[in-house]
Amino acid sequence: MNRSVSALLRSQSATLIAIVVVGTVLLGIASQGDLFSPVGLRTFFQFLAVPILIGLAQMITVAVGQLNLAVGAIGGVAAALSAVLMADVGVPPLLGALVPLVVGALAGLGNGLLVMLTRINGFIVTLATMTILLGAQYALVGTRTVSASNWEPLAAVGKATVAGIPVIFFAAVAVAVVVALAFRFTLTGRQLLASGDNPEAARLAGISNDRSVVVAHTASGLLCGVAALVSLASLPGVNQSVGGDWLLPSFAAPIIGGVALTGGTVAVLGTVLAATVVRLVDTARAEFQLAPAWVNFVIGAVVLGTVALDRVRQVRAERRRGALRAAGPQNVTPVEATR
Amino acid sequence: MTTTPLLEAIGLSKSFPGVKALDGVNLRLAPGSVHALLGENGAGKSTLIKALTGVHRPDAGSIVVAGREQRFADPAAARAAGIGVVHQERNVIRSFTVGENIVMERMPRSAGRIDWSKVRGEAAACLALLDVDLDPATPITELSSAQMQLVEIARALYTETRVLLLDEPTASISGAESDRLFRVVDRLRDDGRAVLFVSHKLEEVYAHCDTVTVLRDGESVLESQPLAEHAHDEIVDTMVGRSLGSLTVPTRSAPRDVAPALELDGVTTTAGHHDVSLAVRPGEILGLYGLVGAGRTELAHAIVGLERITAGELRIDGSPARIRSVRQALQRHRLGYVTENRKEEGVFLEQSITRNIAVTVWSSLARGTGLVSGRREREVVSRYVDDLDIRISSLNQLAGRLSGGNQQKVSLAKWLAASPRILIIDEPTVGIDLRTKRAFYELIWRLADEGLAILLISSDLAEMITLADRVAVMDRFAITGEVENDHDYDSMSREVIRLIHADADAL
Repeated sequence: MNRSVSALLRSQSATLIAIVVVGTVLLGIASQGDLFSPVGLRTFFQFLAVPILIGLAQMITVAVGQLNLAVGAIGGVAAALSAVLMADVGVPPLLGALVPLVVGALAGLGNGLLVMLTRINGFIVTLATMTILLGAQYALVGTRTVSASNWEPLAAVGKATVAGIPVIFFAAVAVAVVVALAFRFTLTGRQLLASGDNPEAARLAGISNDRSVVVAHTASGLLCGVAALVSLASLPGVNQSVGGDWLLPSFAAPIIGGVALTGGTVAVLGTVLAATVVRLVDTARAEFQLAPAWVNFVIGAVVLGTVALDRVRQVRAERRRGALRAAGPQNVTPVEATR
Repeated sequence: MTTTPLLEAIGLSKSFPGVKALDGVNLRLAPGSVHALLGENGAGKSTLIKALTGVHRPDAGSIVVAGREQRFADPAAARAAGIGVVHQERNVIRSFTVGENIVMERMPRSAGRIDWSKVRGEAAACLALLDVDLDPATPITELSSAQMQLVEIARALYTETRVLLLDEPTASISGAESDRLFRVVDRLRDDGRAVLFVSHKLEEVYAHCDTVTVLRDGESVLESQPLAEHAHDEIVDTMVGRSLGSLTVPTRSAPRDVAPALELDGVTTTAGHHDVSLAVRPGEILGLYGLVGAGRTELAHAIVGLERITAGELRIDGSPARIRSVRQALQRHRLGYVTENRKEEGVFLEQSITRNIAVTVWSSLARGTGLVSGRREREVVSRYVDDLDIRISSLNQLAGRLSGGNQQKVSLAKWLAASPRILIIDEPTVGIDLRTKRAFYELIWRLADEGLAILLISSDLAEMITLADRVAVMDRFAITGEVENDHDYDSMSREVIRLIHADADAL
């Protein structure tokens, strides 16, 4: 117990918790308490649900050594199709709520199958499907905005709060808990991590890497679908722009949260905390009425900084390890070293 | 000796948090000599090499190059002082040709452009100096790993290296390739250069080295002594720090009357094997010996379904079996494959020890529910951690933090946890120290005594003769013969070598 506490303290999560606490306090003071007003709290958590979900969606693909450039496009199409079905076709909201989940999972499954069957790099595959899905989203909604008045019951859920905190935030946290438990306790979760860590070793241990890749993309797509559902519920309407700004935050959360881009690791708590940090930056931007471009600048800089810091930490650890295990393989090759 | 040493380390010390990796090490490399650096894993050999080549800065002591004290700020400084190193792993630019790889650190230029004819000419000169017959225009990827190693030595010569450090150069190359490497080393010696040679193979050290330094726990316990004055057993005792005595081969009676657990009958594979037949009975260790590239690992791959069998038959317990994947091999036939390359194929560096070992039993632990209980996982794993004496601080420790020998044990434990009846073990002791090696030998015997059928692949003839009940010899993807092992090194090695060179022309 003591050990796990001290491990937590040394981890990235501890740093992130500190940043969240300090950031919240500073922002609370700067906004003269606005942040902690009922409206302030509700807004803060309402717009935290989607970043958490898309961060987790990206984390799952990164864990198997893949990535998913189509997170926003999948979410956008899923939301658009559902909106059009409810508004134009008259699909009841209860059924309409299922549409984004199904669309998301199917799109993810498609990505996974394409990667598996063509053996083409996941970057190219998801870049291509992203473009296709963006086209589909435009075809569905064009330039109009489908008003949320078409799915009143759903929008009501989006506005519902418990103790002043939006229900959709609790839903996102619940999803995070499920993802964390899945990686910890299920056979599939373990296999995904093994495939991401060392595909060759996984294959030789009887794990199907193909299956891992397909499962990861499908789960990732499903989470994009959940994010789309949350957007449907919480936004005043659905148009072409839904999902358009998801890509960078989806990578920012897991990377800042401590997930190795090389695969084989997950950090659910870290991803949730990092999404919270990004949300704080966004709130600060609104508070000080800075141009939205500043948020992108700050997030981009933080992502770079995190990756650079992580790299420094890694090199240090490797040096230490290399020394402890003096006869182990070389970490520093002369070619690298002379450059 | 009055000649000035080309490289001298005096009282070199280096500490890392929690460990003193080098503790007052002394080393003298005389011109025109080959100096063996011996020691178990973790004794400090690699740290010493890194300290001598500017990767680590020593805390105390000095490095003297040809009479002048030097402090290397970085590897480039060591390079400039004429100290070159060829690491155990290959270190070439795969998109370059042989020639470009040789001259890449100082590309010959004229008028600001690379002078390609000079690249070829100077590279060819370096290769000629080593008497290596390679065309500088060949893409490096067409070379064998042993040939790449020679290219790296040529690269060191190109930058006027006077002292060459070779870190376990023969760990992953075959006997014939080693012979060629030693011809090159002899040339360097004749040329008046100094070579520091790290190896775990004492036979080749005795055959090719002049002087020796032995490291133990970061100290030089034998310092730059003429090798001829120290007997084999004495060196081993110095390395391990206590007299282990020679390993006694237990008298094992491999059962003869039982049906083979694993049998290949006239097997042809997509990897290129033709008409391969062999049989392993329960309780028996069948050695599969051959040079690197003879097709042994590929045969193991064919057995576990990573290559296809196109003709002939694979039989398990007498009935024909069609294995399409490692999972089938494991779950249907309880056949495990301990891979050759632990780091690349055997270990999940970012996962805990528990997960590394339990990976083969997850599906049976999760049967019905899809859930794996961490507690049951640890129960399975802790048994093998104790059994194999894996040195860890906790079951949650990441496998990447373990030493090479312990990683090897983790890789083996993974297969034992799956309780196999047939085990293919590929090069079990490459790059691990003597003590761990002995532990491995005893373990393999014990597994056979417990009734496992073991197919042992090894390039180490001494290991083969120690462990196997019978030795099958493979050359160019075919079995050239099989020998009953009488555990007599002289007669066995003659017999086996004869089978290898039965129809091979000298390399």
